[in-house]
Amino acid sequence: MNEVDPDNRYDLNSSRKSFLGITWEQALKGLFGGNALVSIVVLGLITLFLFKEGVGFFGQYRESLSLHRQSGLEYVELIREELDSFSALEKYLNSIRSMQSEQLTAEGMEFKEIKATLREDEEFFYDFEDLGYPLREYVLDSNEVAIAARDRYEEMLNLRVHRSNLIEIGKTQEAEALVINDVDLEQLFELLKSKETDFIEINRKFRQSIPNIIEQAPLYENTELAAKMSRFRELSAMFLEELPGYEASLLSWDRKKPIGIGESFTAFVFGNKWVTNSSIQDWYGIAPLFLGSLLISLIAMIIAIPLGVGAAIYVNQVATPIEQTIIKPYIEFISAIPSVVIGFFGIAVFGTLVREVSGWEALSWISFFPMSERLTGFTAGGLLALMAIPTIFTLAEDALNNVPLSYKEASMAMGSTRLQTIIRIIVPTALSGIISAVLLGFGRVIGETMVVLLCAGNRIEIPRFSEGLGVVFEPVHTMTGIIAQELGEVVNGSIHYRALFVVGLTLFVISLLINYMAQKIVIKFQISRG
Amino acid sequence: MSLVTDKLTTKSLIETGELYSEMTEINRSLINISNFDFFYGEKQALFDVNMDIKEREVTAFIGPSGCGKSTLLRCINRMNDLIDVARIGSGKITVNGVDIYDDRVDTIELRKRVGMVFQKSNPFPKSIYENVVYGLRIQGISRKSKLDESVERCLKGAALWEEVKDRLDTSGLSLSGGQQQRLCIARALAVEPDILLMDEPCSALDPVATAKVEELIHTLKDRYTIVIVTHNMQQAARVSEKTAFFYLGKLIEMNATDQIFMSPEKEQTEAYISGRFG
Ligand SMILES: Nc1ncnc2c1ncn2[C@@H]1O[C@H](COP(=O)(O)OP(=O)(O)OP(=O)(O)O)[C@@H](O)[C@H]1O
Ligand SMILES: [Mg+2]
Repeated sequence: MNEVDPDNRYDLNSSRKSFLGITWEQALKGLFGGNALVSIVVLGLITLFLFKEGVGFFGQYRESLSLHRQSGLEYVELIREELDSFSALEKYLNSIRSMQSEQLTAEGMEFKEIKATLREDEEFFYDFEDLGYPLREYVLDSNEVAIAARDRYEEMLNLRVHRSNLIEIGKTQEAEALVINDVDLEQLFELLKSKETDFIEINRKFRQSIPNIIEQAPLYENTELAAKMSRFRELSAMFLEELPGYEASLLSWDRKKPIGIGESFTAFVFGNKWVTNSSIQDWYGIAPLFLGSLLISLIAMIIAIPLGVGAAIYVNQVATPIEQTIIKPYIEFISAIPSVVIGFFGIAVFGTLVREVSGWEALSWISFFPMSERLTGFTAGGLLALMAIPTIFTLAEDALNNVPLSYKEASMAMGSTRLQTIIRIIVPTALSGIISAVLLGFGRVIGETMVVLLCAGNRIEIPRFSEGLGVVFEPVHTMTGIIAQELGEVVNGSIHYRALFVVGLTLFVISLLINYMAQKIVIKFQISRG
Repeated sequence: MSLVTDKLTTKSLIETGELYSEMTEINRSLINISNFDFFYGEKQALFDVNMDIKEREVTAFIGPSGCGKSTLLRCINRMNDLIDVARIGSGKITVNGVDIYDDRVDTIELRKRVGMVFQKSNPFPKSIYENVVYGLRIQGISRKSKLDESVERCLKGAALWEEVKDRLDTSGLSLSGGQQQRLCIARALAVEPDILLMDEPCSALDPVATAKVEELIHTLKDRYTIVIVTHNMQQAARVSEKTAFFYLGKLIEMNATDQIFMSPEKEQTEAYISGRFG
């Protein structure tokens, strides 16, 4: 060790204390660096985990779809489509009947009289219903055969797995004792195929008897009923015209056509059914959930953007300091309300209120009012708007605050009004900041779970955009909602479990994209001001 | 609006020659400040200021930092209205005989006639073209020919035309500091003001750019009444006819620039301009 001379001010060797050779600064640096590292690693792990759990889904779904085809379930479904359109006809007929009885009631008839009047026409209705029995039977039988085939095949697969497990752990004797019957799906399907002639026969009967029976349809004096009945005739004719199509699709259906991984992917992305725990076939189509999430988010954004940005402009540019100190914390306070409380409010108050308002006389000119549902995309969207407003407000206000005061002064000094300055200078300058505020608000909304689970109505169906604006008052289900609702009940590693992970992965990717875009926009904003 | 408009449009009178003789001989007073007290909250920033500013002359405000030069300048086009705590104590300011703090005066109309150029050049993040025509657009003028004409006239007026005429579509922020400041002057000219208030317009510029702006001020004074705040004594001496010296919120002395620099009447003035200030 060197001798330290206390008078030597030029002893430049470090005198900072160190512990195990690490100085205080190094330790701090390590701590902060470590924190950053942890967050990066966690993000990576989450991505990896989602991928690992999710990716297996497409293979499994493909197998499930293949079995669906090979066991003949898909074939049965083609026939079921015909049955469904026949059922639709029956339903229409029933609606005519109930309309008639309603009208009779309105005319002041007694219950007994109504019954008597209706009885005259009863024959026709029963006859028509009877026409459907053979088809219904045929579908049920075929379905049973196909399901049995599939179940036996699955059992065989399970036993095979069981056997190889036994061999692996050395229980060879037990393994050999297992009796596994080979299941030949092709042979089983021949059973179905051989009955195809019955189907052709059923259709032939339809062609023959439907026109005959319609001849006997009751003739109504009431114009409304008569119109409905003639519409029914048209529909029946259309049904008959469709019959050859069903036959042709059966003939051209190919049991051996393989299903690729791409098909399982498209079936997931564009599939319009999300059906789980079905005895026939489970479907995992994300489209209804994705569109539901999108619809709700759009509703929320349409409400939240004007309110959030408007409030930001007001507070930043117009409000007096006192107003500012009141409004700002209040809006920011909204984000402190737990989402389950907002959802609760939505069920108890907002949903009911919306439905009540939709029943007002003054609003009856709106085609989709009054609405029957209380929990709809609109209910959820309206509440999500409430949650997006603080995000949009705070970030947009920041962006406006970043506009140099000198711009405002220069504009005012040229004789522009406050409004002109806001519209022409301040908002355009802050625009990219405002856009990224909106994007982050959108990210907040699309990832929100509790409110949509409670208030969106949870009907898994593609929203009917063809209905125009009325679509916002339909119950929908969402990607976040379905995960929260179903993940608790699924078997680890099952196809359903994996499907939920792919939904999660989709959400994750959407959020990443939104955040990335928001950052890009902000960076562009800073450069353009630079 | 009408109140100020009627009395402030002296230009038309000048053009018709009615006022011509009167103005060329001794310029008449355009801005009059009398017994003016001004406060920021409880803090008084200006004390009993009295001064006359002559038409089509350059008047320079000098004085140590914090003495209230900018404050007074910003009172002349009521920019201080934007500051919440700012208020007038007593006294008044008239522009062309109109009390600008009268309730009936529309600040929008006032500012169209009393333009301002700031210390830090502050072009909008828009194209050069849009920067210049901004003042016209907010007045609802959108005829292309009128805007084009105004852009050329104002950029020429601000001695910037030759440098930017080929790139009017590029951002105003892409110009150099000196060019940006001249762009701001062009922007102020587009509204066709009578008076230009300049708050240290050259403080952020290099000597070459400063010389250009000073040259510009020289040519502008044929048409505009200019009030300029500066910390640069040489600049005041070079560009102005009259100089006003402020100290601690009070107007100490105002006189012809030669007079102030050669033989100031007040001791404080002399101390300040000779650099012996403490
Ligand atoms: N917005 C404001 N709020 C409160 N006080 C202010 C404000 N602007 C200026 N002041 C005060 O008013 C006084 C005069 O300020 P002013 O800006 O007019 O000085 P100045 O002469 O222009 O100084 P400089 O040469 O540094 O620009 C200063 O004491 C300053 O602190
Ligand atoms: Mg100043």
